[in-house]
Amino acid sequence: MLCCLLLQVVEYIKKQFTFLGFAKILKENKPRVIMKEKKFKKIFVEGPIAASFISDSIQKHSTQKTIGGHSIFLGQVRADVIDEKTVALIEYTSYEEMALEKMHEIRESIFAKYDLSCMHVYHSLGKVAAGEISLFVFTSSSHRKEAIEACEETVEKIKAELPVWGKEIFADETHQWKENK
Amino acid sequence: MEIQIIIFGQLTDITGSHKVQLTGISDTDELVMELNNRYPALANAKYLIAVEKQIIVKNTLLEDNNTVALLPPFAGG
Repeated sequence: MLCCLLLQVVEYIKKQFTFLGFAKILKENKPRVIMKEKKFKKIFVEGPIAASFISDSIQKHSTQKTIGGHSIFLGQVRADVIDEKTVALIEYTSYEEMALEKMHEIRESIFAKYDLSCMHVYHSLGKVAAGEISLFVFTSSSHRKEAIEACEETVEKIKAELPVWGKEIFADETHQWKENK
Repeated sequence: MEIQIIIFGQLTDITGSHKVQLTGISDTDELVMELNNRYPALANAKYLIAVEKQIIVKNTLLEDNNTVALLPPFAGG
């Protein structure tokens, strides 16, 4: 009887030590929190921005009942004629990491200035044919003035400050580089 | 000391490549000089320089494995 009890006590003590030991091991090998690289909101879309994507975005906002106005800007690739050659498509490239940071700054400055409910920005990368959409800026606010003004300012900032380039490719496959005016 | 240089837009027409690697360069003035030696047309090109994604306005000291980007005028949207 005493033997049994003793055994039980020994078992109990063993368990405690194991538990403590385990706890110690855990403490010493505590997984360090790995600092994640700051994740900026994605804005790039491969190829043209589809009309259905735009309409879906509009639809998604119907649940936000404090919104009274949306302003939408769509940038479309224009078939410019230069020296009798017509632009067939633009191939967009970007310094993506820097562009995402820059877009974050633009977003912050716009939200600081205007009372917006939300803002969405999408920009194409890769080939976008003439007639297709390559930029989609969408702002929403309770009253229309903010959304309209914020949208315009955002578009101007994107065109001036985002590290994005466009190779205008002609039908004969020669090219020139897009210049923003 | 190794410096990675990434090249964008019309500058890729001049360098023929999106990436260039240089060694033995300690600041951005030296970098520009070396690049102009390799690609003479670059001397007439208009671009900004970014070191680790920050646009610089004057000569900047470089560190090992820095990424320098050559950014011609932006044309987004």
